[in-house]
Amino acid sequence: MTMLQVLENFARECNSNDRLRQMNREWNRTIVIRETDSGNAYWLRSQEGTIQSGEGSQFEADLEVEGSHDVIRSVFSGEMSPTEPYNAGDLLVKGRQDDLMRLDIITLLIWGE
Amino acid sequence: MAQPRVLSLKTAVSTSAGLASAAINFLACVEVAEYAGGSSAWIALLAAGILIVFSASNFAELSGLYPSAAAIRVWTKRGLNDSWSLIISLVYALTVIFVIAADAFVLAQAFRRAIPAVPGWVWIAILLVLVLWANLRGIRVAGRIQDINAMLLLASLTIIAVVILGKGPLPPVQQFFHLGHGIVQSIALGVFIYVGFEWVTPLAEEFSDAKAIPRGMYLALGLIAIAFGLFSVALTTIFPRPAQLASTFVPQLLAGQKALGVWGFWWMLFVTATTAMTTFNGGLFTASRFIYSLAREKALPKQFSHLNSRWVPSYALSAIAVLSLILALVIFETRQYAVLINAGAGVEGLVYALSALLVIRLRKKEPTRARPFHALGVPWLTAAVGIIFFVLGMAALFTSSSAWPWPFMFIASLVLLTMGYVHFVLPRMKEAQRRKVSSSIKGNKVTPEETTK
Repeated sequence: MTMLQVLENFARECNSNDRLRQMNREWNRTIVIRETDSGNAYWLRSQEGTIQSGEGSQFEADLEVEGSHDVIRSVFSGEMSPTEPYNAGDLLVKGRQDDLMRLDIITLLIWGE
Repeated sequence: MAQPRVLSLKTAVSTSAGLASAAINFLACVEVAEYAGGSSAWIALLAAGILIVFSASNFAELSGLYPSAAAIRVWTKRGLNDSWSLIISLVYALTVIFVIAADAFVLAQAFRRAIPAVPGWVWIAILLVLVLWANLRGIRVAGRIQDINAMLLLASLTIIAVVILGKGPLPPVQQFFHLGHGIVQSIALGVFIYVGFEWVTPLAEEFSDAKAIPRGMYLALGLIAIAFGLFSVALTTIFPRPAQLASTFVPQLLAGQKALGVWGFWWMLFVTATTAMTTFNGGLFTASRFIYSLAREKALPKQFSHLNSRWVPSYALSAIAVLSLILALVIFETRQYAVLINAGAGVEGLVYALSALLVIRLRKKEPTRARPFHALGVPWLTAAVGIIFFVLGMAALFTSSSAWPWPFMFIASLVLLTMGYVHFVLPRMKEAQRRKVSSSIKGNKVTPEETTK
């Protein structure tokens, strides 16, 4: 599965979860995701409760997420919570802590503990 | 609409000063003056401040290397290993509870002096429950209010001290340079006045200029040194003999009254209340999120990652608040606040020593990783200051008015409990969880990927 497909799946999971749609209805943000090893960039946009995904870094980011391809893939496919690589320094973030916590809560609501 | 994520140098200064400003600092000033031998308290604070500048440069390098809200958890994990990282991070996070309990003591003493009809413990319970309630409902005291309070406190202390010193009479000049027998303890306790300045580093992700944090920390340290240095000297003019200092639990109110009469008294009571409340709020908020993140990485029981309907980690928050309240009431009853000051100063001294070790180790382990800021004097001066902090930390832990070194015993027990948890309880918890997942896979015949859903 390519990274774009992983992110599309992630967006689909978010959009099919009523609780998440409700939670994110006023959380309008652009998240730019960068793979440090390949240099590839992707984006996620939350707009009125709906999440979209895409490739590239053309948008101005509210939250920037950086990590290796494997780490990013594991986080957005639910294989590990973002907190694990984040607390190990393998996932770096630039943005507001509230937004970071929201991203963690989203993964918690989709995939559980 | 997203809020701007770029924080300014001004915010770095006010946040660093704000997190270092606690009501317990008033009593810490008394202790510093007592051990320094009176009017020379400023020397102890200056010496502690100079050492702290080196430590600040260590934190600046680490924060630039790994700008993360998980801060010490990340740095120790990269520089040492996961087990030590957990032990150190947990003990460090628990010092927040000491600071809350110590501030609660100061708050209770101040209100008891102003309104004797209401028992002091009632104020502690009311304010802690109020702050807990606000946090559980997701109401955050805006960082701006916290920052304004820090500046208000520092400005109030400076003005009151200047007025007191201006009124005179001042002690003879040689007394300002007379060092008491307890100068080492005095410097070690002086470290406590600055404690918390480094808690601005978890905000590193929100600054676009990587140098804003080091600059902010340095400026904040200067402001704290000036305000509390002047306050300590002013205190020694009100109480010329160090023994007299030990008898007061409300030095800030007496200083306010001395400078500005009844208005000064009530003004300092107000400043004490707002400072204690911002300490409660900041402490509960920070510690609960840290506990939540450890629960999310399965290092603590999963109950601590429980979120209420307002997305607040309510169990973690409540646990911290209850522990703080219990400790605060114990301290209120026993009046052993000095144990908390010494324990807090000891832990911080050791953490500052650790910061030196981490800078040196990470320079060797990850030499090519970008460092927007370089610590001062690596490796020899950094190592020397690290050793000094280690000695000061241990001196603080062994500073006690009784025959038993209670601060040391308190912290040693905490470290042993944490080590026991990390080495014995946690592996069993993880094994149990692994077995649960494993049996779930066999029972349901689902793929490992599906078990995460």
